[in-house]
Amino acid sequence: MNLRIVVAVAKVSFREFWRSPEAVFWTYGFPLLMTVVLGFAFQPKEPEPVPIAVVVARDSDELVTALSRSGRLKVAAMTELDADQALARGRIGALVRGTPTAPIVRADPTRPDADLARLLIDRALVRGDAKDVAHFEPETRPGSRYVDFLIPGLVGLNLLGAGMWGMGFQLVQFRTQHLLRRLFVTPMTRSEFLSGFLISRLLLALPESLVIVLFGVCLWDVPFRGSLVATMLLLLAAALAFSGLGVLVASRAKTIEGVAGLMNLCILPMWLLGGAFFSNERMTGVLRVCADAMPLSWCNGAMRDLMLGDAGVMDIAMPLSLLAAFAAATFAVALRVFRWT
Amino acid sequence: MSDSGLAIELRALRKVYQKKQQTTVAVDGLDLDVRRGEVFGLLGPNGAGKTTTVEICEGLSRQTSGEVRILGRTWGSGSDLAIRARIGVCLQETKFFDKQTVRETLQLFAACYGRGRSVDAALESVSLAEKASSRQSQLSGGQRQRLAVATALLGQPELLFLDEPTTGLDPQSRRQLWEIVRSFQRQGGTVLLTTHYMEEAEQLCTRIGVVDRGKSIALGTPQELIRSLGAEHVVELEAKDLAGIKDTELGALPSVQSCERSGDKVALKVQSVHLAVPPLLELLRARGKALDGLSTRHATLEDVFVHLTGRQLREEASS
Ligand SMILES: Nc1ncnc2c1ncn2[C@@H]1O[C@H](COP(=O)(O)OP(=O)(O)O)[C@@H](O)[C@H]1O
Ligand SMILES: [Mg+2]
Repeated sequence: MNLRIVVAVAKVSFREFWRSPEAVFWTYGFPLLMTVVLGFAFQPKEPEPVPIAVVVARDSDELVTALSRSGRLKVAAMTELDADQALARGRIGALVRGTPTAPIVRADPTRPDADLARLLIDRALVRGDAKDVAHFEPETRPGSRYVDFLIPGLVGLNLLGAGMWGMGFQLVQFRTQHLLRRLFVTPMTRSEFLSGFLISRLLLALPESLVIVLFGVCLWDVPFRGSLVATMLLLLAAALAFSGLGVLVASRAKTIEGVAGLMNLCILPMWLLGGAFFSNERMTGVLRVCADAMPLSWCNGAMRDLMLGDAGVMDIAMPLSLLAAFAAATFAVALRVFRWT
Repeated sequence: MSDSGLAIELRALRKVYQKKQQTTVAVDGLDLDVRRGEVFGLLGPNGAGKTTTVEICEGLSRQTSGEVRILGRTWGSGSDLAIRARIGVCLQETKFFDKQTVRETLQLFAACYGRGRSVDAALESVSLAEKASSRQSQLSGGQRQRLAVATALLGQPELLFLDEPTTGLDPQSRRQLWEIVRSFQRQGGTVLLTTHYMEEAEQLCTRIGVVDRGKSIALGTPQELIRSLGAEHVVELEAKDLAGIKDTELGALPSVQSCERSGDKVALKVQSVHLAVPPLLELLRARGKALDGLSTRHATLEDVFVHLTGRQLREEASS
């Protein structure tokens, strides 16, 4: 391995990224924008009333009055047809018909607000506007809010997206314009070339992650309690793992369309199950197995331990080594299957 | 190792492309020796197999059968990197980095070679010094091609491959590139270049291999090839209603070797213009044909190609 070549490739790849405004926007601008928008959208506040519909019938006025006594329900009277449609479209959480003494609630049990609507309806009919028995204490302490959960997840998502797209697109683009063929006929080896490529990505990964963290800390007081060294290690390992995957996916693709399909195939499941927007720790069965096998889950879990908990290097040793092993494995496979032409 | 004195040796080279139902024989039993210090030109129409041959020489693709020795070594026998360190390559089409300047592009290639010349020297040698900080998108076609040649020269190669280096360039850019190639040769370098411009082959090459449909159909210096026609001049005449005069009559005129027609035009290959033209004019006057045009020129490689294949080089090239 000739270091001079590795550095030269890293420089070229770095400049190639840094000089394309659109790549810079999608790597830095967009995640920050998402951080700000989502952060503000999920500020702690009074829960919204749950919208429900009462089917208009002979005694339905009575039912509407009884249900309206609860401040937590937003009641609308509708014809059966309209109510059915509203339920199907998710505009209401539940549909109520019958009389106050013999009401029937209909809701889709797979929707998260169905159960809540049912309980609220039940309580409104039994207890009217009586006060809560238990005193409610809203959790608004930094470190326990949704925004605190979200920021570490966005760091992971950004590393995943930037790593895969950043590596994959450049590689395939160089291949389509015959640049890789041209580099192949120089005394440069695959490992020199691919290492240089990955190193350029590492240089970008730290600042882009730290910017997101900093935003969270400054705008919403998101805590950062863990070890800084451990965080650096984690970010580097995750960046290597995701860019390794990007290189692997792009190691043979001949067109941008081809590589984009493969990228989405890798990225989409991780967006859904990788624990970025909602916790995957309560998932069960096959979903849980899949979630646990994803590098994004390792990264997000460890990042939350570092920011919300007070983890050190040893506490995140497991996800850290998993990510490092994943990076090494993808790089090794990529080296074997990589094609210059 | 490379004491044979040959830069390139090809023996019975064959390359077959297999694509589903279609089988293309791109190179069909080619034998070729390129000596050290010469500029060897592969001349042939589009699809003749030039690029395929050159890419096999460069180690970019593998032959189906046959032997290839580059600077005395073979590809795939553990010395690939050592060969690559000694050759320079300019592919038929390469787009360099969109976002790097000329200098930065050259710096990457310079890093690949341990020894080698400086980036500044390379810029100077292809007259791109004042474009050093421009990006590729700001270069003209000729400047891009010179950049490509500069990347190939950075490692101070012994052997330079140029695949259609001047296709699509204006005459001035073409001359500039010829000058770069000549100066490389003067410093002891060997060049294998492909072209479908006979003027280029005549001007630049010490020896030429004419290829058609994957086969070598003629080999020699430009002068030898032209001399092989047996006639060094071409007399072209244009007149209405020439059909009345038979080929055999024209062929029987003194010093005329052969005769080709296209429409109202006739081209005669002749050895000595001063012997052939007076009787030709006499014949035309006797038949009452009025000349619309008459010109004489030296025979070119184009005539050699037409003579060997019955087809024009350029017609094929543009299709
Ligand atoms: N990758 C390929 N797959 C299939 N056929 C090919 C491929 N490359 C070249 N050919 C065919 O091989 C023949 C020779 O091509 P090429 O070497 O590019 O010719 P030239 O460079 O003289 O124009 C052509 O008929 C071409 O269509
Ligand atoms: Mg070609």
